[in-house]
Amino acid sequence: MKLAPRLAVLLTALAVTACAPQTSTNSSSDKDDKTGTLRVWLFQEVGNKPKEKVVDSVVTAFEKAHDGTKVDVEYIPVETRAQRVKAAFNDPASAPDVMEYGNTDTAGYVKDGGLLDVTKEFGDWTESKDTDPTARQSVTVAGKVYGAPFYVGVRALYYRTDVFEELGLEVPRTMAELATTAREIRAAKPELYGLVVGGAYTYGAMPFVWANGGELATGKGDSYTSAIDSAAARKGIKAYTSLFGDDNCPAAKCAGMGGNDTITAFAAGKAGMAIGGDFSHAAVEAGKVKGKYAVVPLPGVKAGSVAPAFAGGNNIGVLKSTSHRTLAVQLMEQLASKKTQASMFEAMGFLPTFGDVREKAAAEKPYVKPFVETLASGTKFVPASPAWSEIDSSLVLPTMLQEVISGKKDVAGATGDAARKMDEAFGSAG
Amino acid sequence: MRSVTWFRRPWRLFAEASALLIAVVVAFPLYWMVLSAFKPAGEIESSEPRPWTAAPSLDSFRRVFEQNEFGRYFLNSLVVACSVVIVSALIAFLAATAVTRFRFRFRTTLLIMFLVAQMVPVEALTIPLFFLMRDFGQLNTLGSLILPHIAFSLPFAIWMLRGFVKAVPEALEEAAYIDGASRSRFLWQILFPLVFPGLVATSVFSFISAWNDFLFAKSFIISDTSQSTLPMALLVFYKPDEPDWGGVMAASTVMTIPVLIFFVLVQRRLVSGLGGAVKD
Amino acid sequence: MRVGRGLSRSSPRPYGRSRGRSQKVPWLYLAPALVLLGGLLVYPIYQLGLISFFEYTQAQVSGGEPTTFQGFGNYAELFSDSQFWQVLLATVVFAAACVVSTLAVGCALAVLLTRVRAVPRLALMLAALGAWATPAITGSTVWLFLFDPDFGPLNRLLGLGDYSWTYGRLSAFFLVLLEVVWCSFPFVMVTVYAGIRAVPAEVLEAAALDGASQWRIWRSVLTPMLRPILVVVTIQSVIWDFKVFTQIYVMTNGGGIAGQNLVLNVYAYQKAFASSQYSLGSAIGVVMLLILLAVTLVYLRLLRRQGEEI
Repeated sequence: MKLAPRLAVLLTALAVTACAPQTSTNSSSDKDDKTGTLRVWLFQEVGNKPKEKVVDSVVTAFEKAHDGTKVDVEYIPVETRAQRVKAAFNDPASAPDVMEYGNTDTAGYVKDGGLLDVTKEFGDWTESKDTDPTARQSVTVAGKVYGAPFYVGVRALYYRTDVFEELGLEVPRTMAELATTAREIRAAKPELYGLVVGGAYTYGAMPFVWANGGELATGKGDSYTSAIDSAAARKGIKAYTSLFGDDNCPAAKCAGMGGNDTITAFAAGKAGMAIGGDFSHAAVEAGKVKGKYAVVPLPGVKAGSVAPAFAGGNNIGVLKSTSHRTLAVQLMEQLASKKTQASMFEAMGFLPTFGDVREKAAAEKPYVKPFVETLASGTKFVPASPAWSEIDSSLVLPTMLQEVISGKKDVAGATGDAARKMDEAFGSAG
Repeated sequence: MRSVTWFRRPWRLFAEASALLIAVVVAFPLYWMVLSAFKPAGEIESSEPRPWTAAPSLDSFRRVFEQNEFGRYFLNSLVVACSVVIVSALIAFLAATAVTRFRFRFRTTLLIMFLVAQMVPVEALTIPLFFLMRDFGQLNTLGSLILPHIAFSLPFAIWMLRGFVKAVPEALEEAAYIDGASRSRFLWQILFPLVFPGLVATSVFSFISAWNDFLFAKSFIISDTSQSTLPMALLVFYKPDEPDWGGVMAASTVMTIPVLIFFVLVQRRLVSGLGGAVKD
Repeated sequence: MRVGRGLSRSSPRPYGRSRGRSQKVPWLYLAPALVLLGGLLVYPIYQLGLISFFEYTQAQVSGGEPTTFQGFGNYAELFSDSQFWQVLLATVVFAAACVVSTLAVGCALAVLLTRVRAVPRLALMLAALGAWATPAITGSTVWLFLFDPDFGPLNRLLGLGDYSWTYGRLSAFFLVLLEVVWCSFPFVMVTVYAGIRAVPAEVLEAAALDGASQWRIWRSVLTPMLRPILVVVTIQSVIWDFKVFTQIYVMTNGGGIAGQNLVLNVYAYQKAFASSQYSLGSAIGVVMLLILLAVTLVYLRLLRRQGEEI
């Protein structure tokens, strides 16, 4: 039996040749083909059909303008995007050429080495001079531009006009009034949630923190420190989590909800109020409450003030691994152009990132007004750190909220743990 | 025996009644799945769930079949499942023969390894497998689904098949060789047919795991939708905003039926097979 | 293993050597299996172990930063995390509950099958096969739907109003347990039923004539004869239930409210894929593997002690 020594040799060889885990060599492709198929990944939205229509017209025009090119668009679910995008970074062969991504992911994707630096092209693009500064900020990492802003999203307060009228309620002017109004609705109409809130709805909770003077994190550039356990932030968390209960939104049902769930509930006529984005407008219009609701900026702590909203939104970027650099950048510009953004606004209610286009939109569609107002009164952004992607996808904040809501921890304990986890992430990504 | 039977009769009726009742309970989720698939849109999410529907509708099934390339997905799933079943059965048969009808060094070690191999949490291996598939250029191909599934179904199949191979009497083998049969003739023309029921029983497991898998499909079929399998078509209905329950249930029904047919076809062999696998 | 009768009475010692066969033949037969397993199972496991000793996050995977050796750093981090211990405990208790329930239901129904005539037997068998055939993701969805606080028929039937099963930790685990038992008892039932059928009728008749009760017959006659079968279904159930993934992932939406329903497998997946901490995820995978390995070794020891051959 000579097998044993042979096996041993084989095993040693294996150990020697593979002494480190595998990695990708994610170098940028040098190829710049002028024909072929461009692959595009866009997000699948609530009520995606109108979006597809706009995109289709852009694609058709693009294919016509560039002989021999074909554009292949795929709509990917927002929830599982992280995994898909990572896989794409790891395998250039399956990666798309152009991709929509959330502006909170910019820093993380850049650090992962997935996005192409388009600073020069973006500068040369005539339309880019009208891009508003907040939006420009959201595609910029360390002075370089990694994509074109697609739309901005802010959230405001949706409320049922019919319910308010029936119960003789006033539109809340402060956060305290918001809570009491919510409870009044629930008390009078137990089949409705007063203000529908979600334990996994981070961006619905953040305005409460910001309005109370809290911050997610403080610092800049490479050194962030979590501030979620500060006294002011805790006050906001407390205000938000106290909305979960049988007198407004029962924890058993609302603790597991995310942003989309709350909008679905509101659209189905199951809630008196909801915190929703301009991008949710189409979904609400398509629901049962059409014509029976209005939108105002989310009130702040003081009467007449507006709670700072999260300046969300998506960008369109080109992947480093593309083998059609020129075409991909052109397609990106087409997808994020003033024209596309204007029709996307018509179709989906996505707020344009160009100041002039947005003004025009607000003039045409009065429902945009509260959102533009919210934008104008100052918005906040998540820490521009690559760690944010990790904090976001490892559910640090939803876990914190759910711990408080379900009574597993008190506010101090939960925020303390969350702050520790955030600091760890900032530390390891720094 | 007669007195016993007489004594038992009321008991047997009771037993049969409970068997039927349990069958109903066990089948209820399946019934609800099929029912929901046939319910018209508004009725699924009604606050007054009814165990029947007044107006059965094929809309949900239509949505399933109208999906882009649904037929393609179905075919892909079938190709994956059948390749896995056939290849893993053949390989497992050879391996089981080796470990039961021969005595060689490391035999016991190998057997233990086959048992241990079943314990590997597949989910944890997706990352290394991802790189492996990428390096072999197999991402986005059906091969990236077939190969790992064969590998993961082998240990259990070998483990189960041992009993069958062992059950074939030694005398038969001796007789075959005395008649001048070659080793491969004995293997394929005598041993293989005798072990076949066992192969059927074990193939049930590999078929189900390959057919129902969505972990590998989700991880390895990244961008080429023409290589997607049925579970992916099911996931489409789990939309972020409002899951289309009718679609989910209809797609699930479509997915479950082929397995059920497979089961009913092999049911008899399955029972005798599983019995044979564990006695030796 | 001992139940063998008739055909299966082959010599316990395979007789290849006596015929002077070459030692190469078994390896030839094993070659395809070993190549596949080596490439697609052993090598990835080796990688898994390796990753667990390195700093390996998305930045390393995509080549943005070099990998650095961490020694047991990842394990130290894991073991100092109170959540890990909580998840480990939950996994062990949950898996044990699943195994016990599955075995109890499966064996009871197998005995029941032998006591009834063809029609009820066929009905129960078909229902069980149906449950077995259902994809895990579908089964989980359907069960979730049955127990949905707003749209499910079960709450209506039980008069529970809009009680949310997935909110409480225990009730969520219980719901998942029901689904796991539902889809895994058929294997136990069919196998044990096949085993009982193989027991000669005379043995059972003799016992019955002696006036032994059903429970007595099961305890003193069937259990010893079925022991090999029971061992197999137990060990398979342990392996499967310890690794349960889809049911938890789908039914508790990735681990429940604030991660209360996480089990090791889902926890590893969340660490690796959601948080991109591949090395921590791999370390959890290795820990799981070691635990299952320990269970197997204990089981093999027991077999050995009883003088049985594998």
